[in-house]
Amino acid sequence: MRIENHPILRFSRARRFVFFFENQPVEAFEGETIAAALIANGIDTFRLSLRHKRPRGLFCAIGKCSSCLVEVDGKPNVRACLTLAREGMRVRLQKNRGVVGVEDGAH
Amino acid sequence: MKMEHIERPELLIIGGGPAGLSAAIVASNHGVRTLLVDEGVKLGGQLVKQTHKFFGDEEFYASKRGFEIADILVDEVKRSPNVLTLTQTSVIGIYEDAVGVYDRTKEKVFSILPGYILVAAGASERFLSFPGNDLPGIYGAGAVQTLVNQYGVLPGKRFLIVGSGNIGLILAYQLYQAGADVVAIVEITDRIGGYEVHAAKVKRLGIPVLTNHTLVRAIGQERVRGAVIAKVDEHYSPIPSTERELVVDVICLAVGLVPSVELVMQAGAELIYVNELGGYVPRRDFRMRTTVDNLFVAGDLAGIEEATTAMIEGKIAALTIVEELRNLDLSEEIERLQKKLSIFRSGPTSEKVRRGLEKMGIHYEGVSFQNVKQTPGLEHKLKPVIECFQPIPCNPCETSCPTGAIVVGDNINNPPKIDYEKCTGCGICAISCPGLAIFMIQEDYTGNRSLIGVPYEFLPLPQKGDVVLALDRDGNIVSNAVVEKVIKSKNLTNLVYISIDRDLAHSVRQIVMPESKPASYVCRCEDVTVEDVMRAIDAGFTDYEELRRYLRIGMGPCGGRTCSSLALNLLTRKTGRSPYELRPQISRPPIFPVPFASLKGGEEDEG
Repeated sequence: MRIENHPILRFSRARRFVFFFENQPVEAFEGETIAAALIANGIDTFRLSLRHKRPRGLFCAIGKCSSCLVEVDGKPNVRACLTLAREGMRVRLQKNRGVVGVEDGAH
Repeated sequence: MKMEHIERPELLIIGGGPAGLSAAIVASNHGVRTLLVDEGVKLGGQLVKQTHKFFGDEEFYASKRGFEIADILVDEVKRSPNVLTLTQTSVIGIYEDAVGVYDRTKEKVFSILPGYILVAAGASERFLSFPGNDLPGIYGAGAVQTLVNQYGVLPGKRFLIVGSGNIGLILAYQLYQAGADVVAIVEITDRIGGYEVHAAKVKRLGIPVLTNHTLVRAIGQERVRGAVIAKVDEHYSPIPSTERELVVDVICLAVGLVPSVELVMQAGAELIYVNELGGYVPRRDFRMRTTVDNLFVAGDLAGIEEATTAMIEGKIAALTIVEELRNLDLSEEIERLQKKLSIFRSGPTSEKVRRGLEKMGIHYEGVSFQNVKQTPGLEHKLKPVIECFQPIPCNPCETSCPTGAIVVGDNINNPPKIDYEKCTGCGICAISCPGLAIFMIQEDYTGNRSLIGVPYEFLPLPQKGDVVLALDRDGNIVSNAVVEKVIKSKNLTNLVYISIDRDLAHSVRQIVMPESKPASYVCRCEDVTVEDVMRAIDAGFTDYEELRRYLRIGMGPCGGRTCSSLALNLLTRKTGRSPYELRPQISRPPIFPVPFASLKGGEEDEG
């Protein structure tokens, strides 16, 4: 949920655009990270854990914990918390460790 | 030239938080070619997500809000000719011969050969083990601050916070500001860990801080749906019979931070385990130099503390590097900053840090402070009542006072003293106080009413004439209050002056708009609340018939079936008269609504 009115802060949401998570359109604003935009849209599972296939989401939000890894345009292990959302970007749940040279699966 | 600056900086600073930014400014001022690298999308480190006013002294931006301090520092760095900054750029390793850097926007790795390195990489959230601790919806407290205050995104509606240190307390207040519900803060020890003034802010909003309690497990399959908490015994083990379930959708872990030491470790610096500083920390000297000659540290990575000391440490490290690079003697400025640090760290809230630093041979002297509890008297006068009794390093009350009435003194840990003769009652101290611990009070206002000015940082802002709810220090609603005036402040800590019964002048410390707490209704038909009835009884309507005529209780379609017993009950409680003495209401037909037409014996033809 996005906060509209805040007693101290102003959130400038100048440019609105759409990217995709698991092929579903997600609304985002310029300057938002993938993680912020997904959570604003009520999506909080970003990947499945390696052994137990547990749902995992954001934990630290500052690039330290690696809980929020997603696949972006075919590239695995992208930290959703530090990566800005871009128009048309295709984000997917990361379900494994990622494969070297996975780029050919992109787009 | 830019390539040279990036590839061969005289000083590489890793981390653009308060420590790194302060160091960059100092280095640039002395002409040192500095490269500052930060992983985030924005410089400022964790300052960017802090909405509260900071403690400390003016030189280090006390009374400014965290994100404002970030803006000031970043502006200065941007204006510094000798600093180049790279954001969205991660240092991936310190190798023997070079520093590896990854530019995420270009997806390119390159290497840097710096003369000196200052690592100010901060800290990461401490994790906690409990069943279900990996579920989405469980966040580090800092992560929730990032989402809420940097991006304006609430990850849920009902929050549980684990840990009552400053971060947990501040987060609770920030969530309330953002319009979320904080169900509770649980604290495993028997006392609140953070500053008393932070705790007071949270308590008077009615947010429970449950000491001797812990989180037992998270509830939920695919995400957090709730939490089980319990009391703990003297060994901090949960007592099963005290378990209870809370319906929450976010659990915030505010159980401490761990210094991010990976890079200094790779550079070969010696680490030592110092529990009081957050775990493994680099061994370093007074000048912030590690055991590797050209490698310095500052800020949380050097030991978990706070922003002011991080800024000072960053400056000391940078000055030392400048001395060596330029063959200068800057000891005078370094001494001055060292003195600031030692004063800052002399209070009881720095006791743990002092103990930790002692373990690497760095000694700071603790000082004892006198407890000041002033009873102002002067009941005819509007004056500040300062409820700041714990020595904390902070003095904006002193520096903001235009008449010099408030004195903290040389050691900023001193609790403030006020000379009420010099005070003009302007209220600037109440607006400036980072702890929101100053209230404006005039006991003799009008008749038997007192005037109280409370600092207020929420939406909506009440207006003159509004009736608001007055809360005591524990967040209990004790009365209604009338808003007499509202002083809007540039720094967004507004002062709302209310009038209340005189005997409540020393207990009311918070107001809330009536909408934000649901009322208790007596009469559903006419929307009459318990508050309305109590006020009417106070005003002299002490009989059911009087109340009925005044408030319309029992005059709605239900004919009093729902409300009359509740109203009689309140009358009994308030006046002490037994229901035997009170007359029930008179019932008149019809006892439920019927159409007029039906009274005339059925439907009537139009024509």
